[in-house]
Amino acid sequence: MERHPEPVHFLLSLDKNCTAIWEAFKVVLDKNPCSVVPSDYDLFLNLSWHSIPRDKSLFWENNHLLVTSYAENGRRFMPLCNVLYGRVGDFLSWCRQENTSGLDYQSCPTAEDCENNPVDSYWKRASVQYAKDSSGVIYVMLNGSEPRGAYPVKGFFADFEIPHLQKDKITRIEIWVMHNIGGPIIESCGEGSVKTLEERLERLGFQYSCINDYQSVKLLQCVDHSTHPDCALNSAAASTQKEVPSPYGLQSASFVFPLLVASVSVAQM
Amino acid sequence: MANHRFTPVSEGESCCGISRRAQICLCVFLCLLVGVIIAVVAGVRLWHQPLKHREWNGTGSTAHFQDIFLGRCYIYTQLVQPEFRDRDCKKIEEAFRNAFISKDPCEVTEEDYHPLMELASQTVPCDKTVFWSRTKELAHQYTWVRQEMFTLENTLLGYVADGLTWCGDSGSSEMNYQSCPDWRKDCKNNSVTVFWKVLSKMFAENACGMVQVVLNGSLSNAFSKDSTFGGVEVHNLHPEKVHTLQAWVMHDIGKSPSDSCSGSSIMDLKSIMSKRNIKFTCQDNYRPVKFLQCVRNPEDSSCSLRT
Repeated sequence: MERHPEPVHFLLSLDKNCTAIWEAFKVVLDKNPCSVVPSDYDLFLNLSWHSIPRDKSLFWENNHLLVTSYAENGRRFMPLCNVLYGRVGDFLSWCRQENTSGLDYQSCPTAEDCENNPVDSYWKRASVQYAKDSSGVIYVMLNGSEPRGAYPVKGFFADFEIPHLQKDKITRIEIWVMHNIGGPIIESCGEGSVKTLEERLERLGFQYSCINDYQSVKLLQCVDHSTHPDCALNSAAASTQKEVPSPYGLQSASFVFPLLVASVSVAQM
Repeated sequence: MANHRFTPVSEGESCCGISRRAQICLCVFLCLLVGVIIAVVAGVRLWHQPLKHREWNGTGSTAHFQDIFLGRCYIYTQLVQPEFRDRDCKKIEEAFRNAFISKDPCEVTEEDYHPLMELASQTVPCDKTVFWSRTKELAHQYTWVRQEMFTLENTLLGYVADGLTWCGDSGSSEMNYQSCPDWRKDCKNNSVTVFWKVLSKMFAENACGMVQVVLNGSLSNAFSKDSTFGGVEVHNLHPEKVHTLQAWVMHDIGKSPSDSCSGSSIMDLKSIMSKRNIKFTCQDNYRPVKFLQCVRNPEDSSCSLRT
């Protein structure tokens, strides 16, 4: 969950009428919660639309918190949740009650209940737009420690984003397969579902590359694992640190490291 | 010629059938009436004319202030810290307004904010308080990752007010969106400065256990008595509640350090703490925070990972 208010954003000079945007969105709250389709959000999207800076698009699967941390509220990258039409719905849930007007604060239908539910339709609509407006180098962050596979073959990225990437606007696609510090390493570049993704991109005619544990993101993961051997720095300066537990949900399973690695690290400190 | 065509006007008779005297009285009365009406209208207009806001040297109140305040309050109470779910954001906003609306924005007192502080009071769990001085962004990045830790801006009131500007004017019930007092050029006891002072005091008073502070070792004085940390927070820590202050002196990547744990400003801080009976420890470039700096500078040699 976002812990800080949005800092002054370079897009702040946007001339947007928030009241009108809300009115356009609101129509969905009057509809039967199993009859909301992506196009119901067209007017909302029209009013809240703004372009995405080149080379700043960041797609992802199974690492929402890491992506939002890394993107730094749109300053480093601009994932969908930092675009206005993605930001307003981020972390929220909404639906009308089944048989009467008024919001249902108890529960809302999921994809298992019905396909045309307000939240899924919103993200489908937003994802399609985001993909269409992305340009330059496209980045994708996947979770190589996810047991169900790093690239979900059925998911927002696969079904609503890839099909709408504009080949003429995109130079290349860079995939980062991140692993939890300490593992498990379930899939890496060129393996399993990641291979499936790579082959699909190739078929579609995109130039792509894949990096395991992209350094800049890994450094962010290391904030929570500063004493882990995988986070050992080459520099000689090392202050004594207390091991702190990870609240992130990127818990590593217990691991066993070769004694050799441990003794080498100690010797070099 | 007969006299019947002209009825000579006798003394005391007007052409409308009322006496001369009555005529004069009527005229005077009408004039007075008109005069009174003009006076009343002018008076009413002057009374209702919005008093022009005073002009200050600082930026004006943030546009859509009330909506932003309420929106952030709801985000915080419903999503960020759900244990605050039952707090009344409308009441909190009202208490906030009452602190500065219709008052001289250069004569705001700490007491003005007390009702608000009471309504929105918050105690951070022990060992989870993170102060910062000249390292705002870095400290916030840290608590973003370590979600159980709190800077001032991770508390309800800090979250809601962060980055905003507000001021009123005596004699007006409106906020001044044109300008607000500048701390240096206009006055120190302005609505924004006093708010942060009161909030910082409360934040420090409520802290317990081990507390942390992120300091900037790329400044000549990592610890400064002129900062909110050095001038307010340090002096409001309670030794019965806070047993240790741990300082992390961070150096900007790629720059040579100006100050460090062994520098004189930190010695000052250490002696202040020892006088207050609070243990003090210091680390240069505390590793978890250093990693945050490295995210932006992964190529720097000090950021290179062994693996």
